[in-house]
Amino acid sequence: MTAKEQFEKTSEGEVITGREFTVTRDTIQAFADASLDYNPLHFDDNYMANKFGKTQFDGVIMHGMQNFALISRTLTDWLIPRGGFHRRLETRWLKPVQLGHTITPTATIYQKRKTEKGYWLLFDIEVTNQDGALVATGNAMAEFLDVIPGTAA
Amino acid sequence: MTVLDLDNFETDFWKDVDKRKTWDEIIPGELRDTRPVTLSKEVIARYARGVGEDNPIYFDEDYAKTTPYGGIIAPPSIHILLMFACTTTEDWMRSPGTINAGQNWSYHIPIRPGDTITMRGTALDRFIRKDRLFAVHENTFTNQHGQLVCTGRGQTIRPA
Repeated sequence: MTAKEQFEKTSEGEVITGREFTVTRDTIQAFADASLDYNPLHFDDNYMANKFGKTQFDGVIMHGMQNFALISRTLTDWLIPRGGFHRRLETRWLKPVQLGHTITPTATIYQKRKTEKGYWLLFDIEVTNQDGALVATGNAMAEFLDVIPGTAA
Repeated sequence: MTVLDLDNFETDFWKDVDKRKTWDEIIPGELRDTRPVTLSKEVIARYARGVGEDNPIYFDEDYAKTTPYGGIIAPPSIHILLMFACTTTEDWMRSPGTINAGQNWSYHIPIRPGDTITMRGTALDRFIRKDRLFAVHENTFTNQHGQLVCTGRGQTIRPA
């Protein structure tokens, strides 16, 4: 299917809901082993009893980049089977995510844009926790292309 | 080039803590010390599994060949791993208490098994907001052909 045909099959307002993710010490360890980020913020209960400036955390926190990776997965799981290319992801972390919390990312297509050179999808990103509170917001962009960059034409 | 060795990575982030730049020593524009790493199929698969990816395009060459991507690729988010893999134990992004405030990444070309990736990392800016010490960093990752694969900026709150 051409990029144009794939683009035409999508609609503004379409919501892509990612998989729920519950944080445990095992998920934190797995993420650290994958990302090589072993900051004591994610492991050390005694260290986390400290104050960080004016901030006091309630125990160890999930890696912010775990959130980033889950948003990224939500986008690519939807895009790759459609031949889409993940172009851009911008995020802001609003609240720490702690052990036992369950978070869910969503990506909403807020605009389809045909440009001179491409077919773009623009997404609003939200990640909410088990209480419905926003823990991260952001925006993303994907593109439908007839040839994926870096592949032989 | 050296294939990234995940099993001998220094996981104690307190090591060399005194050699790392504190917020006031971070100089905007100064290059961070980096080294290139080569990503094998196994390293990509291990990263993908660790962050919960299960799309076969990251693991299965026969499947990946049938997609428009033409072969196995790394998950776009693999720059999360590269930032630590390409820097040293003296890099200030390892400082305990470094808190991530936000990120902004652009993806240009998929990373593939066998690629050797070079990181260029700088601080762009630092500022104080609501008593917190912020640093803005920019990382660019280039493959062995000199092509930019992904580029991004992040903000961290620095330990005082």
